[in-house]
Amino acid sequence: MNDRRYGVADDMLRSAAMSDLGALLDVGVLTVDADMVVTGWNDWLERASGRSRREVVGRSIRDVHPPLRHAAIAAIERAVGGSVVVMSQAFHECLIEVRPPAGYEHMARMQQSVRILPLTGEGTKPLGAVAFIQDVTERVSREAELKAAVEAAEAANAAKSSFFTAMSHELRTPIGAVAGYADLLATGVFGPIGEQQLDPLLRIKSVTSHLQSIVNEILALARVSAHREEVELCEVDAVALAEEALVAVEPLAAQKGLEVRRRFSSTPLRLHTDNVKVRQILINLLGNAIKFTERGSIELEVALTNEGRHVAYVVSDTGPGIARNDLSRIFEPFTRVTSRGSPNPGSGIGLALSRELARLLGGDITVTSDVGQGSRFTAVLPR
Amino acid sequence: MSLKLTDAETDALAELFNVGLHRAAASLSEVTGQRIIVDMPKLVICEISEIEQRLADLVGGEIATVHQMFGGSVAGDAVLLLEQDKAAALARLMTGGEAATGGRLDQSAREVLTEIGNIVLGACLSGFGDMLQLPVSFSVPRIHIESLRTILGSLLVETGETQYAVIVATQFRLAALAVDGYLIIALGAKSLGRISDALRSRIP
Repeated sequence: MNDRRYGVADDMLRSAAMSDLGALLDVGVLTVDADMVVTGWNDWLERASGRSRREVVGRSIRDVHPPLRHAAIAAIERAVGGSVVVMSQAFHECLIEVRPPAGYEHMARMQQSVRILPLTGEGTKPLGAVAFIQDVTERVSREAELKAAVEAAEAANAAKSSFFTAMSHELRTPIGAVAGYADLLATGVFGPIGEQQLDPLLRIKSVTSHLQSIVNEILALARVSAHREEVELCEVDAVALAEEALVAVEPLAAQKGLEVRRRFSSTPLRLHTDNVKVRQILINLLGNAIKFTERGSIELEVALTNEGRHVAYVVSDTGPGIARNDLSRIFEPFTRVTSRGSPNPGSGIGLALSRELARLLGGDITVTSDVGQGSRFTAVLPR
Repeated sequence: MSLKLTDAETDALAELFNVGLHRAAASLSEVTGQRIIVDMPKLVICEISEIEQRLADLVGGEIATVHQMFGGSVAGDAVLLLEQDKAAALARLMTGGEAATGGRLDQSAREVLTEIGNIVLGACLSGFGDMLQLPVSFSVPRIHIESLRTILGSLLVETGETQYAVIVATQFRLAALAVDGYLIIALGAKSLGRISDALRSRIP
């Protein structure tokens, strides 16, 4: 029979070793007997409580001052009954109410994390219990600061998102009006248009259409950041999606004389996702590859990864590449890194939006690149 | 040696865990001041080598476990297993947002999960002590954040006797959150045999 027994033998406590151990680990060591009378009170507890060993040992644990918390007495009783008990700071705050350590006077009391073990002798009946008390005030204070920082950042993010949304709506309406009136003018509704007026009118239309697409991207990014974007999942063919995205961008590539390479077979690849968002991601990545590449080729690869659990879309180009120290910034909205040196840099939203969308779908987008090496963006999506 | 519990014994064992889990839910409600419900557990007994296959479809990614060894009349390893993100959500809700800020299992959240694990494992295994007269004592609980495979690897011990696992699947529910939790009790054939004998002697 495997007779493993856990707890601490009381003869260990009689030795100075336990007290030394408490000092070494900088923890409070409190021991009680089966009648809940204090039998041990180490130096740590003397210092923290201002009560000497002589004042406390021999008294009932219920009469100790400063007092133990009600839950602490109940926990020690359970340990005397044979259970191992954990008292976490977040639930109980402390075992014994003592002053916080120096430098943390703003906290009401010392924050403690406690483990209580039954004391076992030769027989099976517990002889008492031992509580190990750790001061975690510093850690709790640090975590509270971190929590406040996270909340402040979240609040700032929410404010930013609502600002974007309001701004975008304010912008979309007048841009829509400009585009609409330009259309009406061009069709001659307000009177005949001569050759000389037509060309500037078409430029107005083209610029407003570009402006509209940027505002739409800002709005989409704001929706995703504010967690308002909804996902509509359906079964799609990952290869067909890749082909659709390529067909949409091929005219742009042809204008610049870039070769478009496909690295996928025609065999369908099942993907359970939001096809509209994936198409948006792919068109964005491919559009960027074309925008920043002056000569050579762009390539789209589709492959299974993570033992077939994910689909990876890899968009590579032979463009100028991105400096290593810029790689961590390129997914931040409104970031345009100089190393890509494009004459048509765009709004800097496309990549941020694509990555937010990929994450919304449970995936992610990563990049590998270096100056002169081209870029390789990988969107991984769960199947 | 192969050991099988009859359907009646398995049902009785599930009932023991049900009682233990309800005790744990009552303790957790008391500690957190929130209403916590634990569902009727589903129970599977298999050889220890089969655990990974049985759990692989149910849990994935990084796992948070609270591990306590137990000894006495029956001896083995008791593990409470939760998916990491669910564990963080559970710790955050149970502490009213004090722990696991931003979904991170910070030190406070780990400590909270250790206490939750201690309460759940203690309540379930004390059931053997109380009802089957098979008293057990425990080691200090430890929390681990690792992959399922690494955690299960730590349960595989060479003892010369066949090792079994009792997998208890349940759900912890509080507020709008339902978290799947799994208890794994890994123990040798002799210990499982003792539980089986004790159950048999109490089934009319």
